[in-house]
Amino acid sequence: MFNFNKNGLHVVKHRVLWMCLSALLIVPGIVAMIYSMITYPTHSPLKVGIDYTGGSILQYETSAQVSNADVNTTREALTKEGITNTYIQVLKDTSGNSDAKSMVSIRTKFIDEGSEEAAKITQVVESQYKDAQLVQFTSVGPTLSSELFRLSFIALLVAILGIIAYISFRFEFKYAVSAIAGLIHDVLFVMGVFSILGLLCNVEVDGLFLTAILTVIGYSVNDTIVTYDRIRENLRYNGKRMSFGEIVDASVQQTITRSINTSMTTFLALAALYFFGGVTTRDFVLAMMLGVLIGTYSSIFFCSMLIDFWMERANAPKRPAIEG
Amino acid sequence: MKNKIIMFWVIVAIVIASVFTIYKKPTKLGLDLVGGSRIMLEAQTTPSVPKITPDTMSRLQTAIENRVNKLGVSETTVAQVGEKRLLIEIPGVMDSKEAEQILGKTAQLEFKQPVLDANGKQKMDQMGQPVWESAGLTGEDLKDANLSTNQAGQWTVNLEFNAKGATTFGELTSKLVGQPMAIYFDGDQISAPVIREPIYGGRAEISGGDSGFSPEEAQRMVDLLKAGALPVPSDIIQENTVGPTLGATSIEKSKFASVVGIGLVMLFMIMMYAVPGIIADIALIVYGLILFALFKIFGVVLTLAGIAGFVLSIGMAVDANILIFERTKEELRAGRNLFTAINSGFDRAWASIFDSNMTTILTCVILYFLGTSVVKGFALTLFIGILVSLFTAVTVTRNMMHIIFGTGELKYPKLFGLKKEEIGQATVFEETKREKARFGILD
Repeated sequence: MFNFNKNGLHVVKHRVLWMCLSALLIVPGIVAMIYSMITYPTHSPLKVGIDYTGGSILQYETSAQVSNADVNTTREALTKEGITNTYIQVLKDTSGNSDAKSMVSIRTKFIDEGSEEAAKITQVVESQYKDAQLVQFTSVGPTLSSELFRLSFIALLVAILGIIAYISFRFEFKYAVSAIAGLIHDVLFVMGVFSILGLLCNVEVDGLFLTAILTVIGYSVNDTIVTYDRIRENLRYNGKRMSFGEIVDASVQQTITRSINTSMTTFLALAALYFFGGVTTRDFVLAMMLGVLIGTYSSIFFCSMLIDFWMERANAPKRPAIEG
Repeated sequence: MKNKIIMFWVIVAIVIASVFTIYKKPTKLGLDLVGGSRIMLEAQTTPSVPKITPDTMSRLQTAIENRVNKLGVSETTVAQVGEKRLLIEIPGVMDSKEAEQILGKTAQLEFKQPVLDANGKQKMDQMGQPVWESAGLTGEDLKDANLSTNQAGQWTVNLEFNAKGATTFGELTSKLVGQPMAIYFDGDQISAPVIREPIYGGRAEISGGDSGFSPEEAQRMVDLLKAGALPVPSDIIQENTVGPTLGATSIEKSKFASVVGIGLVMLFMIMMYAVPGIIADIALIVYGLILFALFKIFGVVLTLAGIAGFVLSIGMAVDANILIFERTKEELRAGRNLFTAINSGFDRAWASIFDSNMTTILTCVILYFLGTSVVKGFALTLFIGILVSLFTAVTVTRNMMHIIFGTGELKYPKLFGLKKEEIGQATVFEETKREKARFGILD
């Protein structure tokens, strides 16, 4: 489908272009994250769900069509019952079935399912919506949520250190650092998009989001390594005849079809999950889809450009000697 | 060629074994798919038990298991998580209120005696409530408890003390004749009857005081007393209940999405790589079968996140094939003969395949050890998936490529999705003799 072998692709020459493009992809997200950290009461860069803040979510399924006005009515009714600070969300079934049901999800402070509050909420919802039925109850206590936060951070750190160690062992430290830069680039992009989605569409991140981020990390490095592997191989055969930049360009050309095709297959599989799978894992799948796209971009353009940039600087004084 | 045919039959045998396993063993579905409750309890320290020891935890676990079994639901599990937590899974019931009420109670039965003032009367606090003190007799001194009704037609809980309990109870009642004795259950006073005569023989009866017990209340108390008190109080710190209808919809949707996802990936491979694409698709089916069989053998519980991991691994499983085929195509374009192109395609792609999969395995391991149980499920499925895909995408595909294409000339480049004029066009970097030998290049 994509064959760049003939026209050639100059990653190294258009360095500035790729830097600008990367900046364009990442900066809005960073701005959104900083804005979120200032404005959110939790001071988190993303809108975090109960996994991280503690609280309870009651999900009801209803055959009624739920509008925004309905949601307000529910909120007022709940406030009257003494249940304040609820956050109500409507999840619509997108499968297009005519008998599709809406899901009303109500988030409150941490309560027990058997508690009076839970009973009151159910009563309010059942009286307002047709055939409303409690289908899911999730509750996370405050001790657990703060622990999850700490664990998430450790997991990210350990993953990054592990990857640095592995690539340094198999390649060189410089490759490892470039790959990590690409990885941070990808994670910032995905987090940035979710931060913007949090501000615009109230999308919250949960424990599964961390899983998605870590998968994105694995995937991003996976793609980058394939390109680096080719650079290493070409360097071995042609290191004396070609400049590092030329080798990078050639390697990218040789691996780009594979990178794009692999992303296509992964993306297709994820897209099927996104459109036809359950509502619960939709954001999780979205995060991974974004990660696959950005991971492919960064492994082709960003990381290759970076390793060349670094190598060129490191080798600059020596080059005449090699060529001569 | 002989080795390849042996390998082929080994693969066939593995596939048959997988199909057999899938057919024979039941699939374990997670609570988010079948519906049910997951409750996480955390043991709390008290002034009398300042530290949670492994022994406390095992006693707590036994007591909780006894209680959960009382619910009469099959396939419940109670497992210790970390140092002071228990994860309880109860499939099938949406009404987890009862479960919760049973789990939350410490079931601490306590007998108390009045604190007397200088006049020999019971002391009152500032609120005018009588003051009680522990009488040194608790639920631990019980041998059994059961339900009955008394002459007044009220529901009562009959207690039977053990030898030590019977002695203490006898001494206590003889000391308290004419005075009240209070019975507390989980910190609530149930009744405070006045003792008329000493009670020996180790049997006692609790009625619900003036208001009386409802039959449910009395039954629950009996259940809790029989199951034994919790050594320490425990709090519910996480709870997730999924209704059975939501679970059923999730299964349907996930099945459909997986089939569509796999179908799209297979179609893509055929479009891109023609005959090798079909071979990769067969390898993908083999992958799916082996993976599913392994899930059943290891008893992996299939959850929504696990299915997402499975579908993701489908997309990634063909990655190795794409790497190999792209490399083979390159070698063909460079004018190598078919056998060499296939061989060096595999050999040269191997380094990339190995390194790239190792990093994913690395993140899987980290997720498994640091993640919550939902995340663990995802990591485990992805991990097993990568290992299996390394086998199917490399060994199975290579075997079939050789058996199908043999060692002949490539007469129809279309079979590889190549155009005739592309062959021999690309320039290839020159290798040294040693490297040529390594990649099996004969020219």
